[in-house]
Amino acid sequence: MKDLVRQNLSIHVDVMDLLNKQIEKEAHSSSAYLAMASWCDHNALSYSADFFYEQAAEEREHMMKIFRFINDNGGTAYSPEVSGVNHDFKSLEEIFETALDQEIAITKAIHNIVGKCRKLNDYTTEYFLQWFIAEQMEEEQTMRRALELFDLMGTEGLGLKLLDERIPQIRDKRAE
Amino acid sequence: MKVLHQSQFFTSYQCDKQRCFFIEFPHKTIQLGFCQFLAFRQQVKEIDLDSHFNGQNPHGLEMLMLCNRQHFFVFNTLECIDLKEFITGSFAMLELNSLLTNSV
Ligand SMILES: [Fe+2]
Ligand SMILES: [Fe+2]
Repeated sequence: MKDLVRQNLSIHVDVMDLLNKQIEKEAHSSSAYLAMASWCDHNALSYSADFFYEQAAEEREHMMKIFRFINDNGGTAYSPEVSGVNHDFKSLEEIFETALDQEIAITKAIHNIVGKCRKLNDYTTEYFLQWFIAEQMEEEQTMRRALELFDLMGTEGLGLKLLDERIPQIRDKRAE
Repeated sequence: MKVLHQSQFFTSYQCDKQRCFFIEFPHKTIQLGFCQFLAFRQQVKEIDLDSHFNGQNPHGLEMLMLCNRQHFFVFNTLECIDLKEFITGSFAMLELNSLLTNSV
């Protein structure tokens, strides 16, 4: 019997399912960052707002990368539904901490797919995901640098304003 | 044409010559390309069996449209349970076939 699956699909079906789940996660990240951007805007933290607007755009790019990868390789990507986006935060520090937790969860999810790829000998997807592993490393580092600012600088009165002005720099160290 | 998998109500076949699949339902048989088979699989996976038993879906019916809305199906609870097993079994056979093809 011919291997019709392999003729049509370059990646493993089970891995494809996980990639579709990852699409949902990246879409959720994008929406979560957008909510954070909105909170920053309303609290007159415009540098942080810009930072999260950009994060939201990046997460959408991640989503699209996976989306196209699935379809280009003969699979079917599903447009994600996003629900349960949190808009309530008590401080900017809480936002960055949430952002770091979110990135760590995404890193774990990516690692989990790589693990599955290895089990199923799906080297095509494993190779594709290498970029995401490096990206996640940088994303975590960026969020940690933001949290370091909170440790170094106060957030009383003008402190928070000064901290906000420093936010664009946490990206600068990133090798683009 | 070779049988991939047979469940209580459904049978899947692979046709090497036409490079496609056939699914035999109790009242009709349909032809599917690989993508359409994948889409069918996804729809079956999304069936929430719990809703048949907790009152959310009191009639216990699921409606599925296949192959760009060419075919329309209504399945009852028993058929839905069987359908899930059927899809899992069919794709397991496809995977087994891939492994065999690889090792030859
Ligand atoms: Fe991402
Ligand atoms: Fe990210």
